[in-house]
Amino acid sequence: MACSRCGRLHPITESYCTRCSAPLESRDFESPQKVWAWLIAGLVAYVPANLYPMLRTSQLGKTTESTIVGGVIDLIHHGSVGIAAIVFFASVVIPVGKFLAIAYLAISVQRKSLLNQHQRHKLYEVVEFVGRWSMIDVFVVAILSALVQFDTLASINPGIAAFSFAISVVFTMLSAQSFDARLIWDVDRTNHAK
Amino acid sequence: MPSDQNQSPANMDVRPVKRPIWQRISIVWIVPVLALIVSLGVAYQNYANQGVAIEITFENAAGMAAGETLIKYRDVTVGSVEKVAFADGLTDVVVHARIDQNIAPYLDDDAMFWVVRPDVSLRGISGLDTVLGGVYIEGNWDKQADVAQTSFIGLETPPLTRADQPGTIVTLRAPDGSALAKGAPLLHKGIQVGYLETPDLAFNGKDVIVSAFIEAPYDAQVTSNTRFWDTSGFSVKFGTGGVSLDVNSLASLIEGGIAFDTMVSGGRPVVQDQVFDLFPDEDTARSSLFARPNQAVLNVSVLFEQSVSGLSVGSEVRFSGIRIGEVTDLSASVMEVRGVPAVRLRANLAIEPARLGLGEDATPADASAFLADYVARGLRARMITGNILSGSLQVELLEIENARPQEMTTTEDGYDVIPTTKSEITDVAATAEGVLDRINNLPVEELMTGAIDMMDSFERLANDENLRAAPASLTALMDEARGLIANEDIQAVPAEMRGAVTDVRQSLADLNAIMASADEQQIVIKLAETLETANAAIANIEESTRNLPQITAQIEAIIAKANALELDSLVANATATLASIDTLIGSDTTAELPASLSAALDEMTVFLAEVRKGGAIENVNAALQSASEAAKAIETSVQGLPDLSARASRLVAETEAVIASFGERSRFSAETLGTLRDIQSAADAVTNLARTIQRNPSSLLTGR
Repeated sequence: MACSRCGRLHPITESYCTRCSAPLESRDFESPQKVWAWLIAGLVAYVPANLYPMLRTSQLGKTTESTIVGGVIDLIHHGSVGIAAIVFFASVVIPVGKFLAIAYLAISVQRKSLLNQHQRHKLYEVVEFVGRWSMIDVFVVAILSALVQFDTLASINPGIAAFSFAISVVFTMLSAQSFDARLIWDVDRTNHAK
Repeated sequence: MPSDQNQSPANMDVRPVKRPIWQRISIVWIVPVLALIVSLGVAYQNYANQGVAIEITFENAAGMAAGETLIKYRDVTVGSVEKVAFADGLTDVVVHARIDQNIAPYLDDDAMFWVVRPDVSLRGISGLDTVLGGVYIEGNWDKQADVAQTSFIGLETPPLTRADQPGTIVTLRAPDGSALAKGAPLLHKGIQVGYLETPDLAFNGKDVIVSAFIEAPYDAQVTSNTRFWDTSGFSVKFGTGGVSLDVNSLASLIEGGIAFDTMVSGGRPVVQDQVFDLFPDEDTARSSLFARPNQAVLNVSVLFEQSVSGLSVGSEVRFSGIRIGEVTDLSASVMEVRGVPAVRLRANLAIEPARLGLGEDATPADASAFLADYVARGLRARMITGNILSGSLQVELLEIENARPQEMTTTEDGYDVIPTTKSEITDVAATAEGVLDRINNLPVEELMTGAIDMMDSFERLANDENLRAAPASLTALMDEARGLIANEDIQAVPAEMRGAVTDVRQSLADLNAIMASADEQQIVIKLAETLETANAAIANIEESTRNLPQITAQIEAIIAKANALELDSLVANATATLASIDTLIGSDTTAELPASLSAALDEMTVFLAEVRKGGAIENVNAALQSASEAAKAIETSVQGLPDLSARASRLVAETEAVIASFGERSRFSAETLGTLRDIQSAADAVTNLARTIQRNPSSLLTGR
């Protein structure tokens, strides 16, 4: 049994890591629970992220508020299909894909899966890798808000959505993190044992 | 068991540990629960803070944008426009907006909404901030939370009165709204204390009603005795006090304006929306003070025998100079007068009992009884001139002493009839026409002819060659006299001369006395006589011409005096005559003017004729002729005395002292020169007079 922190192998009887004193667990049986909990929290945060305005742009006293999807539509109307695609991809496709992927993985450890373990492990790695890139939206908002502050002339302020989007991303990342990849293989073994 | 352990790992009995459910649940679940709670909380708060949806209906939505246009109350944002849409059937624009929850309860039926736009008017410029920031909706409501509403009708223009502004709104009723404009100032003693709202037609369609807002605390000045009148534009009054031009403020000149004043104290406090009549001017407003528009009036009739042209509906009825009512109807009716049908012109009068001094609560019946009593004592109606220029008439009730006793009768339709008396109508038009006729008939032509004749006479006199020749003759005379003075014999002359001069002076004094005593008519004759006397004197002098110096002096003196006197008196006479003409013309007795003028002209003509006939000029000429002849005689005598001349030339040196005493600075020379100057100035005066009259003949009439 390997220590989940430092990786040292221990006999199964050991309760604590002899090197780093971390508690040893062969499996994190609470993992699916945690995954689901974070995932739900992420989903909950994702709803206002899409409903509320992401940016509040003030120009000469006129205030415009735009949501993510609204901004994408605006960009398409203005002909910037490329940028619209990037924004849409980063803000909608990736988070939604992540939700789906994590949910699938969580279900697959309890149910039978169409994909084999390798593919699922790969999916897990992708989800973990992509997770941080979802923050790109939040970064854009943060940078714009910091740069464009000309009082009444023009100013950009983050909306509620920016905050909830960031929270959502954090929650999904935590969700992905709390997923114990070893469970993917356990299922396989139980299948074999049967 | 140990061997088992060593041989191979025993199959682990892996069993899920049955743990209580609260232990199996991960603590991580708190996170989604919290997230959910927070989200729901935020959502709820957002929903709760969303504000109350209201609808405001506008005619158009110029400048309004969904999500941008704000709703402000006293410049604080209290909501925003959510959606701008059309009402059913595209009739109106409906603005859907959200109002803050804590404000919403105050939006009751007095809430007003209007769009603030840049506005430039006579009262100033407002809403400039909306040029950059875009329009916004301004709302106004009072501080009373009443039954809240969610649907409002927006105003097209900002209301003048804020809902919570302290003050009183009164309703003004005017027959014509042309002078009323929204926002026009309401003035009290020249200070703006309020303004008018939009004028509107009254329900009866006859009047124009307009709400006027009077700001607190000035509204305390308004009582039931307050009168409102129109001050718009300017007014020109032409009366006995001359012409007066009243102009109020510039704004009221363009927008119109209403002034009010409480003429007498003791009125009841005004209530909201009390109706006041709007009077066309201040005088009418003041005179209306005692009118009770709603009080019952006494209707009486007056039957006039003569024409009532000039009397009209609305003409005043006065009693002892006080307005007590007005004419309400004029008609002709046929009546039996001593058995013969005759047309009588009937004027119906409405008399206000209160104005008869019967107290405020007097009824028409009281007034009727009062009038009947009065008629028995001699009250009569008559027409008098109301306005001299327009010829409008008034009905006057007056008490006639020793009137034939008459009773107040009643017509068939129940009107009391007040008997009439002779009307006193001043027909100014006819009088003016008569005056003009008389002026036309004035003998202006004759007057001018006479004046021109007179001027001609003066001119002839001035241009007379003999008169002109006089200075030359006199110079010659003096030269010769000087020569003679050198003569030894002349040494004795001064004494004698003095005597002679005294004589002449005395005779001249007599002459003066005569002329002074002479009146206008006789002066010419006396003048002529005097001149003839002078002629005779000159003739006498001619006879005694041997006494040369004496004669010279006498002649000089006589000419001087005669000329001076004659011309002076002529001028004086002419001036006096003109003055009398002036006086006559300027006289107030216009009726006698033409006669007087004619008489004056006649006198003038007679005078001029006499001047011509009397031969005054000829006398003057004759006098001058005589003087000339005398000079010639002197010349002859001088020629006849050559040795005297020779001796005189020889004795020049010896008589230097004498010459010095009789030289240019001597009294003799001075007198001679003075005479010449007199003649010169007299001629100048006459010429001036002649010129003045020539230039401005009308001055004869006007006296200037």
